[in-house]
Amino acid sequence: MEKESVDLKTLRARVKKQIEDAVPDVRIDYCLTCGLCASGCPATGLEDMDPRKFLRLLVLGQDEKILNTNWIYSCTMCQRCKYACPMGIDVGRIVYEIRGMRPKEKRPKNLQRSCDLQKKSNSTGIPNEDFVWVVNDVLEEVRQNEPQWKDLQAPIDKKGAKYYLNQNAKEPTVEPEEMVPLWKILHVAGIDWTYSSKWWDGANYCLFTGDPEDWEYTVRKQAEVVDELGCRYYINTE
Amino acid sequence: MFYATLEGLRRFKIPHKFEFVSIITLYAQWIREGRLKVDPSWNKDGLKFTCQDPCKLVRQGLGDQVAEDLRFVIKAVAGPENFVDTWPRLSNNYCCGGGGGALQAGFVENRRKYGKLKFDQLAATGADVVITPCHNCHSQVLDICEFYGGKWKTTHLWNWLEKALVLEDKAK
Amino acid sequence: MSTPKGSVLVVGGGIAGVQAALDLADSGFYVHLVEKSSAIGGSMSQLDKTFPTNDCSACILSPKLVEAGRHLNINLLTLSEVLDVSGEPGNFTVRVKQNPRYVDPNKCIACGTCAQKCPKKVPNEFDLGLGKRKAIYLRYPQAVPLKYAIDPKACIYLNKPGRCGFCQKVCPTGAINFDEKPKELSLEVGTIILALGFKPFDPTSLDFTGYGKLNNVVTSMEFERLLSPSGPCMGHLERPSDKKEPKKIAWLQCIGSRDINRACHGYCSSVCCMYAIKQAVIAKEHAQSGDLASSIFYMDMRTHGKGFEAYYERAKEQGIEFHRARVHTVLPAENDNLTLRYTDTKGNVHEEEFELVVLSVGLETDPGVMKLCHELGIQLDQDNFISTTPFAPVATNRQGIYVCGAVCEPKDIPQSVMEASAAACKAQELLSKARWTETKKKEFPPERNVYAEPPRVGVFVCSCGINIASVVDVKEVTEYAKTLPGVVFAQNNLFTCSQDTINQMAEIIKRERLNRVVVASCTPRTHEPLFQETLREAGINKFLFEMANIRDQDSWVHQNWPEKATEKAKDLVRMAVAKVLGDEPLPYNQLPVTKKALVIGAGVAGMVSALSLADQGFPVCLVERKDRLGGHARKFFRTWQGQPMQEYLEELTKRIEDHPLVEIELGATVEEVSGSVGQFKTRLSNGKDVEHGVAIVAVGAESYKPRTGKWNYLYGKNPNVFTLLELDQRFIKADKALSGLNQAVFIHCVGSRVPERPYCSRVCCTHAIDQALKLKELNPDMDIFMLYRDIRTYGKREHLYQEAREKGIIFIRYDLEHLPVASEEDGNIVIEVEDQIIGERIRLHPDILVLASGVRPRDDVGELSKLFKCAMTQEGFLLEAHMKLRPVDFATDGVYLAGLCHYPKPVEETIAQAQAAASRAAMILSKDAVPAESITAQVNPMKCTGCGVCTRVCAYHAVAIDQNSGKAAVDTGLCKGCGACVAGCRSDAITLRNLGNEQLMAEVEAAMEG
Repeated sequence: MEKESVDLKTLRARVKKQIEDAVPDVRIDYCLTCGLCASGCPATGLEDMDPRKFLRLLVLGQDEKILNTNWIYSCTMCQRCKYACPMGIDVGRIVYEIRGMRPKEKRPKNLQRSCDLQKKSNSTGIPNEDFVWVVNDVLEEVRQNEPQWKDLQAPIDKKGAKYYLNQNAKEPTVEPEEMVPLWKILHVAGIDWTYSSKWWDGANYCLFTGDPEDWEYTVRKQAEVVDELGCRYYINTE
Repeated sequence: MFYATLEGLRRFKIPHKFEFVSIITLYAQWIREGRLKVDPSWNKDGLKFTCQDPCKLVRQGLGDQVAEDLRFVIKAVAGPENFVDTWPRLSNNYCCGGGGGALQAGFVENRRKYGKLKFDQLAATGADVVITPCHNCHSQVLDICEFYGGKWKTTHLWNWLEKALVLEDKAK
Repeated sequence: MSTPKGSVLVVGGGIAGVQAALDLADSGFYVHLVEKSSAIGGSMSQLDKTFPTNDCSACILSPKLVEAGRHLNINLLTLSEVLDVSGEPGNFTVRVKQNPRYVDPNKCIACGTCAQKCPKKVPNEFDLGLGKRKAIYLRYPQAVPLKYAIDPKACIYLNKPGRCGFCQKVCPTGAINFDEKPKELSLEVGTIILALGFKPFDPTSLDFTGYGKLNNVVTSMEFERLLSPSGPCMGHLERPSDKKEPKKIAWLQCIGSRDINRACHGYCSSVCCMYAIKQAVIAKEHAQSGDLASSIFYMDMRTHGKGFEAYYERAKEQGIEFHRARVHTVLPAENDNLTLRYTDTKGNVHEEEFELVVLSVGLETDPGVMKLCHELGIQLDQDNFISTTPFAPVATNRQGIYVCGAVCEPKDIPQSVMEASAAACKAQELLSKARWTETKKKEFPPERNVYAEPPRVGVFVCSCGINIASVVDVKEVTEYAKTLPGVVFAQNNLFTCSQDTINQMAEIIKRERLNRVVVASCTPRTHEPLFQETLREAGINKFLFEMANIRDQDSWVHQNWPEKATEKAKDLVRMAVAKVLGDEPLPYNQLPVTKKALVIGAGVAGMVSALSLADQGFPVCLVERKDRLGGHARKFFRTWQGQPMQEYLEELTKRIEDHPLVEIELGATVEEVSGSVGQFKTRLSNGKDVEHGVAIVAVGAESYKPRTGKWNYLYGKNPNVFTLLELDQRFIKADKALSGLNQAVFIHCVGSRVPERPYCSRVCCTHAIDQALKLKELNPDMDIFMLYRDIRTYGKREHLYQEAREKGIIFIRYDLEHLPVASEEDGNIVIEVEDQIIGERIRLHPDILVLASGVRPRDDVGELSKLFKCAMTQEGFLLEAHMKLRPVDFATDGVYLAGLCHYPKPVEETIAQAQAAASRAAMILSKDAVPAESITAQVNPMKCTGCGVCTRVCAYHAVAIDQNSGKAAVDTGLCKGCGACVAGCRSDAITLRNLGNEQLMAEVEAAMEG
């Protein structure tokens, strides 16, 4: 049986328009449908979708399909398509906008949860005191067990340190000993550094949920902390 | 991750006094300056190393330069002859499939299908160790290695850097 | 303007510069031709074959280069660059810096001993670094001038005097001069023509292509060198990594073109689709194993030129695969092979392994050229090409400075050649008063009387690089030639047409006292005049010469049977020798020129040609079949760059009507033509007779109207279905109703690129897109859909396509298997078409449906072509003398063509071609007499019965019955040597000189001897 055709008596590409309003240089319309993105994308074929088809659905106003496809969570917004696209179209950015259009309750639960936790302090949700305790505990253990590292440092909230170091929440939560090698490296290099007891998590899952205000909030908090400590450099560990 | 802060500061025009840097850039800088002394002689068995270029750090972050720094550090740490590069590489490297929240979002089957390109690419290098400087990449590369039956060890860079450190005044 | 100078500066020695120089030098001007490298020839000399004729590029180019190199009125300044220009149009002073060659060109005999001894090897830039050359080198084997040059950067001696210097020691003529210093010249010229060419895009910055990292990824220009017989692998296709012949090759299109992200080139490079197809076809021919597989990965296939679409279709039949897909990244595979991962239009992913990947790189402007333009105050456009406008396609912003070729937009060779002639035309218009004031005249030595001499035949056997020598055993043929009766000398040459060989030939003729010469090489069509002139320079009559075509008719067609080909070559040489023995010296006939032009068709092309000739002082008769001037252009709204067509037309018409030298015949057609170049007589339908020296055919074409059949789409049935030109009418009338439309649909390729009209009309994509944009101007909320097969907005027109997408105009691709379907519902138009990418049928409800139907040839053009003895293409367009290098000449001398009767083209190309036709015509009109045919009919009065058959069959009215003798007599001025009278004569009384029965029979008998 033949499928019903798509009737375009009036073309209303509302989602496209919304994205264009939010991101003026997004260039969705520039697409040449050359397929370069689709040929380079590891997510091509997942959810019967690829970046080119995704753009095409947007252009042709197939908004339902766009808003409902879970492909937006298979696209990692890695921008490899944009990197080589002859028109420089940023599918990742478009996916970000569409993720944000999803009502929160319809988003992947764990992803949203990571962001919600992040907004409180860090993505795993451990209390800040626990982080401080774990750091000091691990440090103490190294100093005791490894005599050559008896001077090892892991300063927290050290005002005026030259470098501020963030810490992915995974280590203090599940594999604290993974923090040690970096401390040792910094020690040997003679670096004056510090952690913070607040907003110390280097990850930021609010980048992925699609709500810019959440993302902005967490970055702002991190920035405030670093400036309060008066550090000249903010080191990201990944 | 690197991009979240870098782009966040830029896009939302967040005022700040500090300079935002990557630890990879610093490793390379410190090794070049002689501030960190490393010796690859520990690698007697000639463990082969390759790496993943995190999209958020390289393509979207600091570009090819930081990826070249990453290779510089690995070569210094493991011996230049023990580094096997991937293709594509640097800014054009594949995403591992764990980024963008994919690890949290569920859709495990899709995530692993996505990761197949990365798995094949890494397996083709024949490396014993894959350095993943990003936590998302780390988790995803670990997972696809196990899922598709890879033989390499997935690790951060710091473990090996620590191994190769030359301690001047104290015996290690 | 005070008295203008009679000389012209041409900057750039590629095909465009050389053509402009030749046109001008042959029309009474002295030309300085400045070239920055050590030899002229430009990019064309680096190409292997050319599309769509598959002619060997060097072979068709070489005669032009040699002609320019030998031309008395062309001053070749190689290794030179323009420093600055002062003065005004008509009187410019140009400072030129000439860098040292370190080899005295007057002494160098190009023996190559120096290069043999030179110890320093460097990458050869002519081969794009794929091969090596020495520090003392020839740019390429057929280089003009054929003189060695020292590369000062590489030369050991020049960098450390006292070291090396071997070349100086071994040079037999003492030509090496290490002390040569740069010279500065000051040239006084009337106008300047910039033919600065292009540079192939360097894909190193596009890391995903793998170029520079993966060995077997090459650029298309490198691939030309890999194919070329004079290239680094001598024409035996090898891939870089292991020197093996690749069995599977992929071409990636649009590398550095149509890319605003990484390459920063928003334009289309126009030529890459065709050259990729050509390379795929030629590579297949080259493959010794015969099982080469080729795939081309593209976005839109742009085969918009004359003969291109047929070439594309033929390539598909030959098994070349075309994938509408762009590849993201070239991936390494086992054995230095390469894997391409691509997604088809349906979204399916494929992976395929190739042994070689060719990047079809685009054209861009060289930074050095940009700098020069900046210094000369020449304006560049957004893409860094020299700015021109549609109505003045070869004029720069600086008066008196003209431009041609790829430096003003990427374009192919014929288009560059057209523009070269057009630029020459503009220069002539400006300097017409100074014609012949600075030229020199050629003097040949007196000719030796050879009547009484026994035949002394010299045979020159050409290797043509490997074109002949790879199949035919040329040494054996040479030895064989020595054994033939009358032959006293035989020699084999690598390239017989190269300048040193030519000079040597003249010396040999004198030394050996040869009185007959045979060259066994390529075709007389391109090379006979060159060799004949050599005979004259050596002091013998040029008709004591024959050619044996052992290339086109032997080595090329019998590639797989080298032994038999060698035997055939011997046969051909033996026949040529048998014939040349009977050759007699013939007179150099001349025909006075009637200094007037007939221009047929008063559309834009005809009017521009007429005006240009009239502005040069030549009277013109302009004939138009309709009762008003303007032609097709009357129906056009605007050019694609937005200039209103009707305003231009009005001004042009007025200038024509007011010009004292233009006589206009409206409502008239050509009825009868007699005579030939220099002296035509034409009868018009209004009874007038026109005597003219040249004719320009510019009779235009028609727009196709799909009244019935498969391409009808409700045309003529629903009042809201229009052709492009019908919509233009509504734009011209500023029809307000257009602003109220909600939806418009355009269907491209209506009746074009289909079996009954298998060519692309070139103009419709751009025209339709411009109209869609005009509709968007009128109503930005209008939904517009373009249903297309391939968008062919070549060159800068690509910007228009981008603008259209940017403005939200939607492009939906269809193919011949899935045509759009038009129907009516309650009188409203409904279109159904499948969008291939989302895999769904789309239903559209346009208020107007516009059919981009193409251009078709006029039905009566065949009649006209017969009158002028011109040929036509299968499609019914007029056929030029040579698709590549003679794009405005007919095979009939003195007749030229311009505009749509040649092929569909936009107005800027029509104007350029019309100016080019005027330039070519001026080459005749500027002379008092032109050479006439020497091989004329001869009547033997003893046999003639005066029956008069010959007078009736002669198309040129050259034979008449003499009143007194009652016998036929031939007017040698009018006779074209066609032989019709010879065939018609019942009494065997007429023969053609040097083509007599005895001679032909001798040739036939020689053929049978073998």
